[in-house]
Amino acid sequence: MNRILSLLLLALLAGCTTPPVTYYYGNYSRTLYRSKKDNTPESLVKHRQSLENIIQTSETKGIKVPPGIYCEYAYLLAKDGKPEADRYFSLEVKTYPESERFVTFVRGQLKK
Amino acid sequence: MGSLLGGCVTAVTATKAVKFPLMYQEKPLTIFVLPPINSTTAADAKEYYTTAIPQPLAFAGFYVLPMELTGEMLKGQGLYDTELIINQPLERFGEYFGADAVLFTRIKKWDKVYAVLAANLTVTIDAQLKSTKTNRVLWEYSGTIVADLSGQSNSGNPLVDLVVKAIVTGVNSATADYVPYAQLATTKLLMTVPFGKYHNRSGQDGEDKFIDQKPEPTKPVEPAKASVTAK
Repeated sequence: MNRILSLLLLALLAGCTTPPVTYYYGNYSRTLYRSKKDNTPESLVKHRQSLENIIQTSETKGIKVPPGIYCEYAYLLAKDGKPEADRYFSLEVKTYPESERFVTFVRGQLKK
Repeated sequence: MGSLLGGCVTAVTATKAVKFPLMYQEKPLTIFVLPPINSTTAADAKEYYTTAIPQPLAFAGFYVLPMELTGEMLKGQGLYDTELIINQPLERFGEYFGADAVLFTRIKKWDKVYAVLAANLTVTIDAQLKSTKTNRVLWEYSGTIVADLSGQSNSGNPLVDLVVKAIVTGVNSATADYVPYAQLATTKLLMTVPFGKYHNRSGQDGEDKFIDQKPEPTKPVEPAKASVTAK
């Protein structure tokens, strides 16, 4: 009985500490803030590196790249006329099928 | 046992299912976050808050459309002002962008207070999540978060120490860095939101009790506890 009770308590406590969703965001919000606030070429480069780091680290760790990151990265590539953009737009849709309509819209805007 | 659980829940006022039944009916997944409406005089509040929204929302289990792009797409449609959208029908957000719901936030207060032994950031926010299918308010929040900027907490929790370190660095530099605090504020703000599909307790958190917001100092230990309190 005691054993069951302690197992139950352990389970309760474990429930308290298990992270429910795992994403790796690196420096995302800080570099994004700086890129918005300073809007300098350096701050934009740093933000792009931060996106690259999130993608690489998540893939290495075998976890999902957070919502929107592939898409944001693809958009930056597309604006620079880089053909790899397509690959990252597709990865967003593959990882999060619900993004399809948005990604289609964004790509439509880019063609204009 | 009561005292053990007491570590998780300190005060009880409502459950998610009772307070936000429409979230369980409509089960929104894709969220379009509009730029915050800044009703304060702090010019940088909007940028801080904008950058602090997506992460906690994603951790609550939602698919958050990338704010960098949603902002640009809105401008492309001639929509610059969140104030002008708030009372409009939202169906087009579903039609064009595939969003199930739109998140509106208003920053009502953003005050930094420095004293000899303490530094606080007080943030007051109103938030509303509205359905693009029915235009109904699915979830809303109004409250104040006080973050302790002194960075003196010593938690032993690696996540927390990272936050604290970031803050200490920030406060020492010429432009103080409030990003972690803005994020903390959003994390607290989202503690009452029923989890989205990607959270492992999605659909099972209806009985979760939550605390109605009262302004009380919060140490940066809180982000780690966010997952604790929900249990």
